[in-house]
Amino acid sequence: MPERLTRRRVLLLTLGGLSGAALLAACGQGQATPTPMPAGGSAAPSPTPAQASGATASPTAPAVVKTPGSTVKVVYWGSFSGVLGEAEQGMVKRFNESQNEVQVDYQYQGNYEETAQKLTQALAAGTTPDIVLLSDVWWFKFYLNDVLLPLNDLFAASQIDTKDYVDPLIEEGTRKEVIYWVPFARSTPLFYYNKQVWQEAGLPDRGPKTWQEFTEWVPKLVKTEGGKTVRYAFVHPSAASYIAWLFQPVVWQWGGRYSDPDFTIRIQEDPAVEAGRFYLASVKDGWAVGSKDIVAEFVNGAAVAMMASTASLRGILKSATFPVGTAFLPEGPKGFGCCTGGSGLAILKNKPKEIQQAAFKYLAFATAPEHTMWWSQNTGYMPVRKSATASQEMQQFYQQNPNFKTAVEQLPKTRPQDAARVWIPNGDQIIGKGLERVTVQFEDPATVFADVAATLTREAKPVVEQLKRREGY
Amino acid sequence: MGRSVDVVEQERVAKLATPSGSRELSVDLRGRLGDWPLFVLFVTPNLLLLIVFTYWPLLYNAYLSLMQWDLISPVKLFVGFENYRFLLEDNEFREVFRNTVVFTVGTVGGTVILGLLFALLLDQPLRGIALARGVVFAPYVLSGAAVAVFWINMLNPRFGVVAQVASWLGTVSPNWLNHPQLAMVAVILVYVWKNVGFTTIVYLAGLQRIPQELYEAATVDGAGIVERFRYVTLPQLGPITLFLLVVSTISSFQAFDLIKVLTNGGPVNATTTWLFYIWEQGFVAFNAGRAAAAAVLLFVFLAVISFLQVRMGERRVSYD
Repeated sequence: MPERLTRRRVLLLTLGGLSGAALLAACGQGQATPTPMPAGGSAAPSPTPAQASGATASPTAPAVVKTPGSTVKVVYWGSFSGVLGEAEQGMVKRFNESQNEVQVDYQYQGNYEETAQKLTQALAAGTTPDIVLLSDVWWFKFYLNDVLLPLNDLFAASQIDTKDYVDPLIEEGTRKEVIYWVPFARSTPLFYYNKQVWQEAGLPDRGPKTWQEFTEWVPKLVKTEGGKTVRYAFVHPSAASYIAWLFQPVVWQWGGRYSDPDFTIRIQEDPAVEAGRFYLASVKDGWAVGSKDIVAEFVNGAAVAMMASTASLRGILKSATFPVGTAFLPEGPKGFGCCTGGSGLAILKNKPKEIQQAAFKYLAFATAPEHTMWWSQNTGYMPVRKSATASQEMQQFYQQNPNFKTAVEQLPKTRPQDAARVWIPNGDQIIGKGLERVTVQFEDPATVFADVAATLTREAKPVVEQLKRREGY
Repeated sequence: MGRSVDVVEQERVAKLATPSGSRELSVDLRGRLGDWPLFVLFVTPNLLLLIVFTYWPLLYNAYLSLMQWDLISPVKLFVGFENYRFLLEDNEFREVFRNTVVFTVGTVGGTVILGLLFALLLDQPLRGIALARGVVFAPYVLSGAAVAVFWINMLNPRFGVVAQVASWLGTVSPNWLNHPQLAMVAVILVYVWKNVGFTTIVYLAGLQRIPQELYEAATVDGAGIVERFRYVTLPQLGPITLFLLVVSTISSFQAFDLIKVLTNGGPVNATTTWLFYIWEQGFVAFNAGRAAAAAVLLFVFLAVISFLQVRMGERRVSYD
């Protein structure tokens, strides 16, 4: 007799499916493999110095490090993939081969957001890395929670002149004269254009001076076939590809801002809304399009101009089949505006001293003049040391690769980003999703930015409280 | 059911007969205390896993839902039911709820109905049917992230296969994954494509269990192919359909990997489902309390839905 399904059987099957799913969900969490936290000195000095690794050494046994031939292991969490990832691994390799005291273990964690997420979880679990790459919008959250190591003493002990770091970049990671976040992969937005199409359209070989001029060029750049646009003049990124970062300078160019430094939100005010209306017109008039991967659209020739990070430069030059031009951002009705961006390195507090020193060794190496030069030439990020930019090698490189020079020349004209994007946790994505409502759903910026302002104001509250606790004002 | 039970047992059960089935069970167990150690031995490992990975997190989550916490700060601020109040009044959460309903109805409806159709087709004695069955089931065992990456390329409006097909038909493919309405349609289609193999296989098993005599009897009574399906196949598949509805609903609510990779919940919030929202609030925006509250609400909602489904099943589904 064939087995029949009974009611009890169905219930059992269902329950089985449920608990199985629950177990799967519970086990699905990606498990990081960071160094174990030093267990408050309970780890006795390592029995065999040859095997001693910094991660297991107790804080009371610094002698281990000084044992000749032993190495301290340092775990480094980073966010680079593709061309940038290769360069990052190259940097770690150069460091590991340059000396034998510190061994850096580079662990890729996903993009900036995912790295910040994993660091948060690691802090809760007590299994943090030793050194971590944090983006402009994330380091502040960890500073607020006091988990980053103040670096002034280590800089002094290593006799590194912090004044040689490019001022606006090092100042961004400094609070009350204490350095927490050291510039490493720093960028600015650039205006990229497709020189081939420019030439075919009979345009001068430069970026537009103003957005006004660009809109005049637009009819020559857009291409339609059978009533459908097959080539756009411009492309807007999505929230996840940092539209809020690229819109920041545009807001300034229209005379507005996201917020004041004291978290008074200003994005709902007229100048910012007008800048938003410019974006809305760009998509409504059909010369710009929203995309999740602007670099791909540009390289494929589906869009002939864009604002994008300097960091994309090396990758774009590698994959574009046409000559690429870079220029300063166009000016708006209220003049020029440009911001910096990118990421820097921080060292975690609550680590044994020798680990911190070892981690700092890598930090100092990666931002040293000769290495920031190498990094810059291989990625497009800006050199973070004044002496590097001024060096003969770099100047020569700029002569041969004028596109790499644009960012460095634009840098003195940049200013730090508004607090709403960089200091409110997730502020970047809150603004970015609002901008997507404009560029993808064609909603009126006045309504959208009012919603965004309400959300930002709400989310800023806990930050203001935390900041008071942390800095005492 | 009773056929395999021997006479002695039948008498014993008759003596113990009580109105409620659960009491019958407990009395039955007490009568045979000797099995208890074995029972405990079998149950403990699974129970421990459930306590550690399900019940404890569940309780801790309920506790967090009353807090305001950024997941790092040593201070968890008690805010009472503020997080719940926020969610119930929030426009974005309302949109997320709507998205979830659309996604669930679309995916459960799609997988169950298509699954039944495929099962009926694959039940035919045709050549190469084993291969066809394998093909239908294959996507189910693939990793969700891989499926999503594959479909991102398929749906690419410029060089994807779908765009190619559209151009042969003389039209232009829309930008599926970055379109305010079509993004949800695309996510549902991909989800159904990946998961229809499961419902198909279960239905196929169900079809093959229907006794041939029933069809013969129906044919003798003059039933055509439509009547046979309506009065034999469908009722016989009742329990299976109930099982599939409950399980598919729950796994639809758990969908994450496909959405994360395909659209990341966007454009804006167009494909943000309830679970995705919980993740986003918790691990992107670091609002642990708000995420926990949304999770508690989801738990309650799912419990009600499952209860209703089983209840409805009890009335509609026959097990004979």
